[in-house]
Amino acid sequence: MSYVALFGNPNTGKTSLFNCLTGSYEYVGNWSGVTVEKKVGVLRQHGVPVVDLPGIYSLQPLSRDEGVATDFLLTEPCSAIVNIVDASQLQRNLHLTVQLLEFGRPLIIALNMVDVAEKRGIKIDAVKLSRHLGVPVVPVIARTGKGAKELERAILSAKDGHHSRMFIDYGVEVERAIRRIAEQLPDDVPGDKRWMALQFLEGNERLAAYLRDHFDLSPLLAIRKETEQALGCQAAKHIYETRDRWISETIAAAAIEFKPKPLTLTEKVDAVVTNRYVGLPIFLALMYIVFMLTFNWLGTPLADQLDTFFSGPLTDWLSRLLDWAGASPFIEALVLDGIVAGVGGVLVFVPQIFILFFFISLLEDSGYMARVAMVMDRLMEAIGLNGKAFIPMIIGFGCNVPGVMAARTIEQPKERLLTMLLLPFMSCSARLPVYALFAGTFFIHEQALVVFSLYVLGIVVALGLAKLFSSTVFKNESSLFVIELPPYRVPQALTLWRSTWEKGKGFVRKAGTFIFGGSVAIWLLTYVGPHGVGVPMDDSLLAAIGGLIAPLLAPLGFGAWQAGAALITGFLAKEVVVSTMNIIYHVREANGLEQMIAAHFTPLSALSFMVFVLLYTPCLATVATIRKETGSWKWTLLSIGIALTVAYMISFLVYQVGMMFHFQ
Amino acid sequence: MVLTDLHKGETAVVVRLAVEHEALKQRLLHLGVKEGKMVRVKAAMPFGGPVMVEVDGQAIGLRRKEASSIEVK
Ligand SMILES: Nc1nc2c(ncn2[C@@H]2O[C@H](COP(=O)(O)OP(=O)(O)O)[C@@H](O)[C@H]2O)c(=O)[nH]1
Ligand SMILES: [Mg+2]
Repeated sequence: MSYVALFGNPNTGKTSLFNCLTGSYEYVGNWSGVTVEKKVGVLRQHGVPVVDLPGIYSLQPLSRDEGVATDFLLTEPCSAIVNIVDASQLQRNLHLTVQLLEFGRPLIIALNMVDVAEKRGIKIDAVKLSRHLGVPVVPVIARTGKGAKELERAILSAKDGHHSRMFIDYGVEVERAIRRIAEQLPDDVPGDKRWMALQFLEGNERLAAYLRDHFDLSPLLAIRKETEQALGCQAAKHIYETRDRWISETIAAAAIEFKPKPLTLTEKVDAVVTNRYVGLPIFLALMYIVFMLTFNWLGTPLADQLDTFFSGPLTDWLSRLLDWAGASPFIEALVLDGIVAGVGGVLVFVPQIFILFFFISLLEDSGYMARVAMVMDRLMEAIGLNGKAFIPMIIGFGCNVPGVMAARTIEQPKERLLTMLLLPFMSCSARLPVYALFAGTFFIHEQALVVFSLYVLGIVVALGLAKLFSSTVFKNESSLFVIELPPYRVPQALTLWRSTWEKGKGFVRKAGTFIFGGSVAIWLLTYVGPHGVGVPMDDSLLAAIGGLIAPLLAPLGFGAWQAGAALITGFLAKEVVVSTMNIIYHVREANGLEQMIAAHFTPLSALSFMVFVLLYTPCLATVATIRKETGSWKWTLLSIGIALTVAYMISFLVYQVGMMFHFQ
Repeated sequence: MVLTDLHKGETAVVVRLAVEHEALKQRLLHLGVKEGKMVRVKAAMPFGGPVMVEVDGQAIGLRRKEASSIEVK
């Protein structure tokens, strides 16, 4: 299988183009580091596999996601490379282009963002550029799909064909070094030998590691040293400068218009949101508005309506249908008390979750995300992280799994690890049903305030632990921060809807699979007991299981088996806590659940319970992702261990202190 | 003079990138911060936070410490 691979600088529209070409809906966003792993798709109607890769500036990776792209070149066969070039940033984009041309595979340039370039006063003649580089250049606007057809044609005809004869003369010393290195290389290296020699001279660590597996590097290192002595500077610097000059000439030859001017919209917005005094307050205010819309102004009324529908008309209708079909009481109970209660109990929160996802998508697509990272950097530096760690955290509010993945863009291994370990404290959307249920029952008037405090508690705990770790375990490790701030883009309705749906789909799908299955299993556990079937709930297997840990939880204020059972099942996915409660306390009428819960909890124990659910353990999917991303069970188990300990301590404090002050 | 000596809105030419951290230096080069380039300071975050500079129409955020090792004139 030989791929067509998409390479380009970060945030140049690779994924947008990939989606156009393959009809997929991969994750698009306006900041660097959206795509952190390779994604495979198929060119429509032609069956050609296409792969989308994380963005890179050069083939020398600085972070984990960038490594993915370099590794791809070194280890996977590709029939053609599509290099996406941002027309508004040609100079820096072409540095990568040169390296890819030297690699020596058929290459097609997709000249993207021509609309942005034009606004900035830059117009490029694609034909002239093509002549200069010796490869096809196709102007496109990946965002709207303009030019995708032409690009597809160019790919199909260039695939497996010739590669460019573009040649940069790096001067006597370097050229001699290239020849000497190339002589030493075995014949089966990936890519052109000249390319490999140049990358080695530039100090590409990834490549050096690859070569070291095959043979002894010391003669090559000696050549590099001699060359650098002859040049009087680092080979990398010399090579970079030679390329830079070549690129300037190329642009001068190919540009029709080149009078760069700033983008006015971006200038105006930045003057406000990155303002010294109001930057941070604006961010906090925006978060508050999003929060209120989700929980108070818009989300809650919608969720209530859905709830009324599920427990009223839907239940009636289903029960009539089951009667009509002659279903046995067992089946009827399974469907109505198990599935409708369990799955429906979670689905009612779909409106709130979609509203939250909508705003996260808006944040991602506008270009504000990178600004937030910059505005937060000072605070993050104080606790031993960097501003970029804030991006995974915001994504984590939607779902922790992509949050953990997004940590790949953090360059320093220590900062990345710490971010991943603490990410589960970000209150993901799956925890939202639990808050909505409990806060909606006990804190009707203070609901938004209570839930807001929980979100803040999660952040405070994560930041506090980060400080603790970085001043103990990870002491003495340097921290660094540099971030590109892309131009703002007015989000498009379609993109926005798509990325909201792509996120929300996971939640709905989980309801249809995981939670459906879980609900059936949980209901069966309530139906079966150690001493027979159809037993009263308190004699069921679920009661026995929940009862095992109940005594442990008693000091936290919720020592009933029901709470224990809900928490154990909640490890699968946090929404299952609500499903389980729905099944256990199920009464077939509207508002039944809230009354039952009010009978089993006090406001204080409900608060303590919510705190525990917020902190207690990452869900199964997050654990699996942390394991995969850290590559270590030790850190994964540590993450669970910290979470359990912290949850227990804080819930204990909440409940005991509350009791002391007779707050019920 | 170094980059952090510039006030908001001021422009200068980079003379030397004296950044210690090699990876960071590479990244800055690839973002277009290099000798001979015009840089403009667009904003500075409070409490010694990052500065925001612009090179070739590309805005970049970097920490004060690194910014102060970029010599300009
Ligand atoms: N104006 C404009 N925006 C684009 C174009 N192509 C992509 N974008 C936007 O650029 C951002 C980055 O796109 P993405 O596909 O995630 O880039 P990647 O990081 O290279 O994969 C998104 O906000 C896109 O909507 C284009 O041709 N014109
Ligand atoms: Mg991408």
